[in-house]
Amino acid sequence: MRLLTHNMLASNVRGATTGYPLKLEAAKWVTKEVELNADFIRGLLPKIDWRALVAATRALGLPELLPEEQPAEEEIFAEGAAEVEGSAIRRIHHALLEIHVQEGSLVCPDTSRCFPIDKGIPNMMLHEDEV
Amino acid sequence: MASSTTAQAPAPAPPGLKEGIAGLYDESSGVWESIWGDHMHHGFYDSGEAASMADHRRAQIRMIEEALAFAAVPVADHEEKKPKTIVDVGCGIGGSSRYLAKKYGAQCKGITLSPVQAERGNALAAAQGLSDQVSLQVADALEQPFPDGQFDLVWSMESGEHMPDKSKFVSELARVAAPGGTIIIVTWCHRNLEPSESSLKPDELNLLKRICDAYYLPDWCSPSDYVSIAKSLSLEDIKTADWSENVAPFWPAVIKSALTWKGLTSLLTSGWKTIRGAMVMPLMIQGYKKGLIKFTIITCRKPGAS
Repeated sequence: MRLLTHNMLASNVRGATTGYPLKLEAAKWVTKEVELNADFIRGLLPKIDWRALVAATRALGLPELLPEEQPAEEEIFAEGAAEVEGSAIRRIHHALLEIHVQEGSLVCPDTSRCFPIDKGIPNMMLHEDEV
Repeated sequence: MASSTTAQAPAPAPPGLKEGIAGLYDESSGVWESIWGDHMHHGFYDSGEAASMADHRRAQIRMIEEALAFAAVPVADHEEKKPKTIVDVGCGIGGSSRYLAKKYGAQCKGITLSPVQAERGNALAAAQGLSDQVSLQVADALEQPFPDGQFDLVWSMESGEHMPDKSKFVSELARVAAPGGTIIIVTWCHRNLEPSESSLKPDELNLLKRICDAYYLPDWCSPSDYVSIAKSLSLEDIKTADWSENVAPFWPAVIKSALTWKGLTSLLTSGWKTIRGAMVMPLMIQGYKKGLIKFTIITCRKPGAS
């Protein structure tokens, strides 16, 4: 499960107010390098909840990866930024697309219900009494 | 009982239904894929067209394109209006997810009850260089794991027939649709009831029951039922069509493929659920011939900015 996916998932457990964002508990995760496409990131960014993304990276033990506040667009998409090591766009790319959580859980912030992640796939199925 | 009236009280899923569905697809997905490829839905054919095996894959793609055209989804060239986020509800191994993601350059999330399908679909996406755009999760279409208003295009291709509560199913589709977003449902229905009828005839109910048992299908409803539900949710531009004539070559083709050497050996090495599903295929043909089963498309739009 990439953090891009985590950013779009919510808990529907009965009793949850928003069920979002889900807290990430990663037992096993890997990084896989993937080519950076600035236009792709530009398309994605408006739909990303920055707080949730930052929280996920912190949960993985990467407090230095992303700043609390989303950097300005001009900074992220500045000319040549993709080539600069440690630039905002490269960090965002790495966070969204290169981290893969293989085993772990997603925890509902309102009800503490745990959704397992198995072989990289979140299982969001609810039990009968949670609907 | 395999029919329903328009006023449906919400009912819990029959016990074992979701497990049955997951189990059926966990078991049979591989067999289907090895013979038919990654699209697990009917092909769309011209009326009276005789189709060869080679034509069926093309017809399955045509089904997707015809559905998009029917719903008047903006074309892929239109940078501003084309869908950017898509959810594939009941995604199978993600055939539609990958096709739509590629067509529109969009993000697509798929949900399925089958862990085997999710895993296979994600692997196929990775192999096709689409894993940035497509991810499949295990989740229940009646409790979609997404916040409200996420998706420009909400896609349900032949999964509606598995949903035990049609109202909840459609209301979830509406909930996750973005304002102005398009909802497309392609599904199996039973014929509309006449004004004088309160249910289908006993022999019709009987036929549907045998199909339901083999395919882990809960009660069916009619196209009118779907339209009523969409209206009750204040969805707009509601359109529906009967495409039964356009899918007529499909089941005979599936049966034919099952009777090939590859088909038979695959079936025999699969499991009971898959075999039972295969044995019931002639009943689908019967149902269509009797005018009982209707292959239906229902499309609509969520109100709001577009």
